[in-house]
Amino acid sequence: MFQNTKCECGHQNPTGTVLCEACGKPLDEKEAGGTDLLEMRYDGAARRSQKADPSIIDQVWNFFSSVKIAVYLIIITLIGASLGTIYPQEDIFLSNMDMASYYKDTYGTLGSIYYKLGLSHTYESWWFILLLVMIGTSLVICSLDRVLPLYRALNKQQIRKHESFLQRQKAVYTGATDNGEEFIALFAKQAKKRHYKVTRTEDALLAEKSRFSRWGPYINHIGLIVFLLAVLARAIPSWQLDEYVTVPEGDTVRIENTDFFVKNEKFTVQYYKDEELPAELRGTNRAKLYRTDAVLYRCLADCGPSSPEPKLEQVASHDIEVNSPLEYKGLKLYQFDYDSTPVLREVSPMLIDKQTGKQYGPFKLAMKNPQTSYELGPYKLELRQNFMEFAIGEDGKPITKSRDPKAPAFIFLIKGPGLSEEGEPYIYFPMQKDKAAFSQDKLNKGIADRFEIKVGSMTDVKFVEFTTFLNVRVDKAMPYIWTGLAISMIGLIMGAYWQHRRIWLRLDGNAVTIGAHTNKNWYGMRADLAAALKAAGIQVDPKSLDNGGNRT
Amino acid sequence: MNWLDFSSSAFVAAFFLYCFGFLFFVTAIVGRRWSHGNPDRHEKRWGNIAFVVSVLGLAAHLLFFITRWVGGGHIPISNMYEFMTFLGMAIMVAFTIIYLIYRKPILGMFALPLVVIIVAYASVFPQEVQPLIPALNSYWLKIHVTTAALGEAFLAVGFAAGLLHLLRTIDFAGKSEDSRKERLWIEVTMFMIVVAVGFIVTVFAFRAAGYEAQFTQENVQVSQAGEESSKVETVKYSMPPIVKPFNSTLVHMDSFLGIKQPVLEAPSWMNGINAGRKLNTVIWSFLSGLILYGILRLVLRRTLSAAIHPYTTDIDPDDLDEISYRAIAIGFPIFTLGALIFAMIWASIAWSRFWGWDPKEVWALITWLYYSAYLHLRLSRGWHGKRSSWLTVIGFLIIMFTLVGVNLVIAGLHSYAGA
Repeated sequence: MFQNTKCECGHQNPTGTVLCEACGKPLDEKEAGGTDLLEMRYDGAARRSQKADPSIIDQVWNFFSSVKIAVYLIIITLIGASLGTIYPQEDIFLSNMDMASYYKDTYGTLGSIYYKLGLSHTYESWWFILLLVMIGTSLVICSLDRVLPLYRALNKQQIRKHESFLQRQKAVYTGATDNGEEFIALFAKQAKKRHYKVTRTEDALLAEKSRFSRWGPYINHIGLIVFLLAVLARAIPSWQLDEYVTVPEGDTVRIENTDFFVKNEKFTVQYYKDEELPAELRGTNRAKLYRTDAVLYRCLADCGPSSPEPKLEQVASHDIEVNSPLEYKGLKLYQFDYDSTPVLREVSPMLIDKQTGKQYGPFKLAMKNPQTSYELGPYKLELRQNFMEFAIGEDGKPITKSRDPKAPAFIFLIKGPGLSEEGEPYIYFPMQKDKAAFSQDKLNKGIADRFEIKVGSMTDVKFVEFTTFLNVRVDKAMPYIWTGLAISMIGLIMGAYWQHRRIWLRLDGNAVTIGAHTNKNWYGMRADLAAALKAAGIQVDPKSLDNGGNRT
Repeated sequence: MNWLDFSSSAFVAAFFLYCFGFLFFVTAIVGRRWSHGNPDRHEKRWGNIAFVVSVLGLAAHLLFFITRWVGGGHIPISNMYEFMTFLGMAIMVAFTIIYLIYRKPILGMFALPLVVIIVAYASVFPQEVQPLIPALNSYWLKIHVTTAALGEAFLAVGFAAGLLHLLRTIDFAGKSEDSRKERLWIEVTMFMIVVAVGFIVTVFAFRAAGYEAQFTQENVQVSQAGEESSKVETVKYSMPPIVKPFNSTLVHMDSFLGIKQPVLEAPSWMNGINAGRKLNTVIWSFLSGLILYGILRLVLRRTLSAAIHPYTTDIDPDDLDEISYRAIAIGFPIFTLGALIFAMIWASIAWSRFWGWDPKEVWALITWLYYSAYLHLRLSRGWHGKRSSWLTVIGFLIIMFTLVGVNLVIAGLHSYAGA
């Protein structure tokens, strides 16, 4: 530990100071006598982590303030992250799979071990998240520990530095001049030409440039902290929405957990034509475009799931493509997938009197929310029941297996002349295959001889060709994520593309001593110094200013 | 002649100009020995010639890029061939910038061969223009891929300078344990480069000979409903099969040196028909790399690194260390912007989330973490010189794995580039 913190120039330094805050003289007894290059990190200022006798809090602080620990954390995170890429992660599979046996069957014993170690969900595991949190902590503490002393040191720089401080910089010049006053003036003029800020006294000079670049790393770290906090904030449930909606062409569908409805006006899928493809891809279906022409509605009233007619107001419309989601006030709808299995939408059958051959209709029968009664000449059809995927249940009664119109069936009551007062039931299968499979005529018994409901031609049958799958997202953390990344990027650019350069000059009678320091790009530093010396009448090869190699 | 034909010619021109640029850089450095007059003047003169030729190569490469863009209708960075050629071009851009700052011809002796190898490697992949699939049809393709590649290019130049620094500073006469170890690892690095060359040579040799072999593999799959179905897959080898895919049947095989049957079979854990083919390619690369390395050793009569070392002694090692660090300091922010930030923006538009732990994303993050460790070690822990240079060598390995390895070994959302 450093005991004597009072410098010979009279300045009292905090414990842990390496170079006197005022004159720059090395304070450490061992260092003081040396001739090696000085360690200029943080300008040799004392850091909080260098307190003389640390308490528990200090020890935690010291742990996280160590760059060595930070590097270890980075390396461990890096290795941990790479483990997660050996086999696919669980979340890319359907959730109802038996993952344990999947990894064993697909990747053998190694896969089984991988699964048992929890590496199949590396990035959600406690140790990985802990590592990220520790990196975040390290970012905060490392930065605070260094930026404050550095700020103080740079803010109260003394112009005239100790001789040994100058002699032990990495770029040094020593010489003599007859006219010190003129030498400094010429030197200063050239330095200003190169955009240095020059401050001087009678017998000393400090030329400084791009000090702001020193704050680059800390601004970068602030950005990363904002980013990491935003990532953690994504765990707030109300900030997140991740829903999938299935929308057949022409339908309007509720988006669960929101007030919104989305309509699929039209779905388009295009493939490249053979002449657009290179030889080896010809004959393959290479997709060119998936697009859902979508309209977004907000529900104003009657929004309940069972409400037949919610009151909707259009709020946005957009042709959603893979790289072009619909956006409305933080709600985003993405093209996720599509299905091209045709779905029956509407039939327009006629009621045929088999005895007279007379036809009544056609009438529009929609699969979804059909009308409940139809007037057809003297007859009236009342819809009693409908089934979307008709089947006979175990108790012999008709049931529906799903809400998708895969095998629709309708039971009407036919009323009219020559029929009983309360009407006679008639079951109708719009699809020919179902009509045969469930023997429509047999089910209808007697009435099948008198009436038939059937479509005239295929033009009276409407199918929906495409069903689109949209991913609906809300992520309220995103603005903070982008802000953090933007700050981080600004810091990186500040730190990487500018360099903090300083030149100290000191006159002792006729003797000139110059030391220069930069945090990177010594090549440019030496060139600046050589140019200023040249202006003051001294020709030197920039390389000759090098005071020895990097210390490792 | 249409745009694409012109583009291919420009590519060939760029390739040869790079080769000549390399030879001239070698002349500039090696020729110092046999220039009887002034070695510095010789180096400067030939250095300038080499640089001009390299810049002409870059111009031809740009011409290739632009004409292919016009002819193909979209920016040529959408498959492995296009990406690797672009990476080669980006390394040339990075090299040109660094060269203009430091003007050290010896840097060209290392950067140019790197470009030549990458461009030649690109040519291994199918070269047809493939129309864009919807997922790639975004202006973020241009922004993300070009910036990421440029960042990686600067990191690659940092590697070239770092490798040079090692060849310059390693003690080739020293008897100590440390210098022996260093000599071993630098030679391993050189050997890996020779293997990469061996791979390219093998591919083109067998391609020129029109070699082909074919296997089928039958896989029985049990669906969740318990139904069994079998799928027969076919794989074509373009190199003689030393190793056949696991549990596969030979359909046809051109005889090679009188051998008409594959020698070995891939182990069972390498399931998937392409795993066998990839293993076979790796074996061939090592074989031809070994042969190539053996020939070089016989000619040089010492290790490759020891043979190169004497030509590096005219440059100051500190300068090399600084060039390497400078290239990385320039490349790191560009890489961050292109490979992470722009990637996140695009992902949030195309995939509805900005980050999804896709293998390519993870490896971009690993690269970034690695280089941030490099910067911290260098700036705060004083890792300069050799240690820093070794880090650039490992860093380049990580970059190449991220760019190529992930696509070949691990599939994922970025699998468009698989080959």
